Amino acid sequence: MTAPTATPPAAAARAENGGPGESTGSRIVRALLTQRIALLAVLIVVVVVWFFVLDAGGYLTAAYDFDYMSSALITAVPLAMLGLAELLVILSGRGGIDLSVGAIVSLAGMVFGFAYGEWGWPLLPAILLTAAFGALCGALNGFLVAYLGFPALIATLATFYGFKSLAIVINNQSPISTPPIQNLFSITRSVQLPLFGQYVPDVPLGLFTFLLPTVLVVWLLLARTTYGRRLYAVGTNDVAGRWAGIPVRGTRFKAYLYAGLISGLVAVVTVAQFASARPDAGVSGNGMALPAITIAVLGGVAITGGIGRVAGVVLATLLIVWLNAGILLAFVGNEGSQYQLLALGAVLIFAALLNGLTTRRYGGSR
Amino acid sequence: MTATLTEPPVSPAAPPKGRNRILPSPVTGQELVLIGVIAVIWVGLALATPAFLTAGSVRPLLVATAPIALIGVGMTIIIITGGIDVSVGGAIMVCSVITAKALVAEVSLAPAVLLSVAVGGVLGLLNGVLIAYGRVHAIIITFGTANLFLFLGLQIFDSSTVNGIPQTFEFFGRGAAGQTLGVPNAFLITAVVTGVAWWYLRHTAGGRHFYAVGGDAHAARLAGVRVQRRQLLAYLVTGLLVGLASCFVIAQGTSTLDQSVGSGKELAVIAAVVIGGTSIMGGRGSVLGTFLGALLVQSVTSGVTQLGWKSQLADLFVGIFIIIAVGTDLLRQGSAGPGRAAGRVRRSLGTLTGRARRPS
Repeated sequence: MTAPTATPPAAAARAENGGPGESTGSRIVRALLTQRIALLAVLIVVVVVWFFVLDAGGYLTAAYDFDYMSSALITAVPLAMLGLAELLVILSGRGGIDLSVGAIVSLAGMVFGFAYGEWGWPLLPAILLTAAFGALCGALNGFLVAYLGFPALIATLATFYGFKSLAIVINNQSPISTPPIQNLFSITRSVQLPLFGQYVPDVPLGLFTFLLPTVLVVWLLLARTTYGRRLYAVGTNDVAGRWAGIPVRGTRFKAYLYAGLISGLVAVVTVAQFASARPDAGVSGNGMALPAITIAVLGGVAITGGIGRVAGVVLATLLIVWLNAGILLAFVGNEGSQYQLLALGAVLIFAALLNGLTTRRYGGSR
Repeated sequence: MTATLTEPPVSPAAPPKGRNRILPSPVTGQELVLIGVIAVIWVGLALATPAFLTAGSVRPLLVATAPIALIGVGMTIIIITGGIDVSVGGAIMVCSVITAKALVAEVSLAPAVLLSVAVGGVLGLLNGVLIAYGRVHAIIITFGTANLFLFLGLQIFDSSTVNGIPQTFEFFGRGAAGQTLGVPNAFLITAVVTGVAWWYLRHTAGGRHFYAVGGDAHAARLAGVRVQRRQLLAYLVTGLLVGLASCFVIAQGTSTLDQSVGSGKELAVIAAVVIGGTSIMGGRGSVLGTFLGALLVQSVTSGVTQLGWKSQLADLFVGIFIIIAVGTDLLRQGSAGPGRAAGRVRRSLGTLTGRARRPS
């Protein structure tokens, strides 16, 4: 029986620098295995080309073209945003994970439904209220995990149950779909881009109003602020972080708070997509938390914390969204949605095994 | 392989100042508290609704507890080894749809149960092999296999429900045929399995090895424990128990099985294990606690319905119970040291040095 991740230092160093005798082929393999971004980019190209070929061969029930790919992007909005939320909490280390994001989406969605649909608030304050409410839910998670020392899995399992239950009870199990909520559906429509819009497909509006700002802010937060560096430090080794004078608890607490905030924004998107504030929006079926965690892991976020990038999560989302969109066309009826489960599971296991292999052969991916 | 080899990794679970005692006490404080809480809930419900403490009301409660408590036995072992399995919901779906189709094809009781257990075993084996030998974090692999199992189950369902399931499984059901001396068979079987697992985990070398793996896998390996085989075994046992529990699930249902079977059960099982005092970090826990945890969750669920409250409120109480159960555990651990903060630093130092010693 060998030690799990033993890599001889010499071999690791050789792999790191690409030894003199290394062939081009093995260099490419190493690049694909250690650079998760490169692997995802290649996989996206493979998937898209594959479906284009299937489409050209007439095997699909509808055309798989750039217009279709672009309209499929609307499903990427909640997925990528929650993936970024999971990125933040998983980065914070000590088994960080958030099972409650789906339940927060349900509950914050109901709050948005009340504020915008029932109390007649204007749109912007209603969105702000929803985001603040999501942040409050996230703060509860963060308080339990960072200050009281609960294992993240347990704390967020408990709050998952709590939020899910409250979301259903709060309005007597019934959705809110008053006229203002129904009209909100318009923000999910596709629009033509200015300047060069006639040359490229129309793009869903939600991409610009919600996803891109979130991606930008999270990227700035992680890559360009002190907080981001602290979060990586705490996730890599929180004892070392403490001795380096980093406020470990506050840093970890904020990761959960931000995840809740993003979940609150996703709640608005989800309400708009359904044209109704549904009490089970984030937890029905497989829920939203599991796909979000899947996206994060596929994007190269190490479940042990401290490793992960925004670009990985975004590319993983694109891969899954375009793969799912193609699968829907490749099968008739609801067979397609079942094969999406198969694809998601297979891709996740593949990515996880690949992470293990990469760790053993090259000392980890980045 | 002698028991002495495994004693050092076991010591975190043992009281520090015990009188030459290696094993923790047979019933932990948390389990006594759970028994107390269940008693209080039952008495409270009996006072609020006189119909509660009648056989007609308690029996369905026990039958409904059985599947969660039974899978909880396997889940406890998995969590003791430091793993987790979020795919049991999907596994229940696969086992029960295959078994239900077999029942419709007029397979008799014993072969049907064997079929279900065998299918569960195969699914558990898949998890175990991927986790023990793929060396990937358990939660990621089981998220993946959960999707695969759901796909498999839905494919076998073939976009419709399974109808006309005969009464073959009434032995496990709520009715008179499902009782021995007035106690439901499903509950009796669960109690026996829990008892055997309790004895095995506590009093045999093999059982202590599970704690050793969860306490510190590296130390356990050095002490001669076959770590990967123990991990594999934990998932295999859970798979087999999922197979048996699926029979209970079919027996509790009507003659129709729909595609929502098993949905959300993985979190319910984990909740029961956690409320029972098993540490999610591994190395500490007991199946007795899980049994009581499952009973508590089910008592709350049926209590909420019997009081005429909204049934979804039960989930809120489950969440609160998880927080209380784990919170008191954290407090107790923290107060063992000179100060809570100091204790926490020492613990994290312990995990740090434990990790650093492993070659990585």
